[in-house]
Amino acid sequence: MNGEVCLSCRDVERYLGEDESRVHALRGVSLDLEPGTIHAVVGPSGCGKSTLLYILGLLDQPDGGSVVLGSEAVSHLPDNELSQKRNEFIGFIFQFHFLMEDFTAQENVVIPMRRMGQLPEAAMCERAAELLEAVGLSDKLQRASRHLSGGEQQRVAIARALANDPRVILADEPTGNLDTANSRRAFELLQRLVQENQKALLLVTHNPAIAEACDWIHEMKDGRIVLTHSRR
Amino acid sequence: MTPPLYIALRFLSHRKRALLLSLSGVVFGVAFFICMQAQTQGFAKYFIDSTLGSNGALIIRSRFEPRQVGSLVPPKTSKTNVAHRQYFEGITNASEIMRVSRQFSDVVSCSPVLRGTLSARSGFENATVDLFGIEPGLHLQTTDLAHQLVDGSFDDFRNKPNTVIVGSRLAETLNLEVGDTVQLLSPGGQYRRFGVAAIAKSGVGSVDSTRIYCHARVAQTLLHKPYPASMIIYKLRDPDRAPALARHFESLFQHDSVSWQEREQNTLHLFLTLRMSAAITVSLVILLAGFGIFNVLTMTVLGKIKEIAILRSMGYQRRDISSIFLWQGGLIAATGSLIGCGVGALMSWSMSKIPIHLRGLLSTDYFVVAWDWHHYVWAILLAAVSVFIASYVPARRAAQLPPVATLRGSSV
Repeated sequence: MNGEVCLSCRDVERYLGEDESRVHALRGVSLDLEPGTIHAVVGPSGCGKSTLLYILGLLDQPDGGSVVLGSEAVSHLPDNELSQKRNEFIGFIFQFHFLMEDFTAQENVVIPMRRMGQLPEAAMCERAAELLEAVGLSDKLQRASRHLSGGEQQRVAIARALANDPRVILADEPTGNLDTANSRRAFELLQRLVQENQKALLLVTHNPAIAEACDWIHEMKDGRIVLTHSRR
Repeated sequence: MTPPLYIALRFLSHRKRALLLSLSGVVFGVAFFICMQAQTQGFAKYFIDSTLGSNGALIIRSRFEPRQVGSLVPPKTSKTNVAHRQYFEGITNASEIMRVSRQFSDVVSCSPVLRGTLSARSGFENATVDLFGIEPGLHLQTTDLAHQLVDGSFDDFRNKPNTVIVGSRLAETLNLEVGDTVQLLSPGGQYRRFGVAAIAKSGVGSVDSTRIYCHARVAQTLLHKPYPASMIIYKLRDPDRAPALARHFESLFQHDSVSWQEREQNTLHLFLTLRMSAAITVSLVILLAGFGIFNVLTMTVLGKIKEIAILRSMGYQRRDISSIFLWQGGLIAATGSLIGCGVGALMSWSMSKIPIHLRGLLSTDYFVVAWDWHHYVWAILLAAVSVFIASYVPARRAAQLPPVATLRGSSV
């Protein structure tokens, strides 16, 4: 891979659990994410895909190796600074969308912007409306997220991940809870948004069709990336 | 509006039942606290006002001289000093003492009183009475006697030396009304007749059930006293300064001086004990409300684990998460205190309208309540501290929740 790298990790090691139940979840994993590229991480359950995602997303810290955001090593920053970086540079999408159920679609998208605190209330609502329009939910801004369908909820989660215009989007099985048609629609939406806005997208998936449509596929096994191949 | 406050408001508005439960605990805790304090302090304040209005803030009584104790050096403690005093009944130079004491800025006015005990008779009723021989003009300036009259006229008393003012409960005992005649038995065994010019009700049981006021010169004749005054009572600008002034007067005039705090020590202690007892009881209600809030917030944290993980993944810091739950407690405390103050004021007002026929230490026909902003401040402070403690533990727990553990629940 060539060009600017917006998020990378080198020789990441991670152990999970303690004492007898201790598992070596990641064994020297290295990865580079460039703007405008989509990376799929595939592999059997328990191979370390999600662990890698959380470490890249600064939600978890590696026991060894480093994570670099842009040009800054971030893996050993204090919790408050990691939170700040997460808010500014990383957007998350989860399998079960993880929306705030009592909040409306628009309020859900505003939450990350509220934390960043750079826009006034009206501007945040306007941006949230634009993002929801981009994912085809302009008519459901004020609907409580619990009253949206699974596909709609996932689209709200996608809009929310883009709220602070992050450099990187990390998606943990974003289509795992959707039917085939909704999976395809959600992925195409992500693909379009990533390419239009020059984001880097790393997604963990079990869906071969989606993995095949990504620019890079990283196959993991027993905490290692055993094979990386490009679809470009 | 900060993000944690916004989220706290949204969380609260979606848990209406839990919110109402927590809120009602604080509201009733604060309201009960205010109402109980208003009531207990009301009675204490009523007693203090009444006793100050009847007996003054400070009293000078018998003259004393140090007792000769040979060559021993007099002990320094005041109690032992008192034991080494020789007292002489009555005040012979009352005018001079009053002239000097009026120079003190704390003194508003003073009045000499010749006091004695004798028997009163009216019809077939007899009673032992506490006779107060007074100078009407001076006594009017020094006490609230004029305001205590429930029947008759002070001017009638002032203008007719052969009239008396009778305490309200004593008047009931002797079946006396204004215009009636009462006979007072002098130590020589002769009855003298007096017209009842007025009936006074101070509110203090011991005063209303025994006291009769007459003119000082009449009292001196009746009691066969060689001196014109047995005590001087004082009205002070600041009754709280009475103990210090009493000590000063005692050393200055060499007369026994007693402040109202010392005079009513036992009753004041009783009221203080009652207030503390009520405060402790009602504080338990507030603490119970705090325990309720602790439970509600703990349940909220458990129910919002997913949301907390989402917020952390979006960049919310640990202190943001704890702030969300502290804000919830703070909002409940603020709203509950505000409503509680209103309800407390309403309850206090309603309480003051409840009729009671109290004729003991105090005489009153209604519950007496004190309107004091300190009660409201204390109630709010107590609620704030209780709710903060109740919110802190769940808030801290929420902040410490590892988001990855929750997020892993969605995938491996």
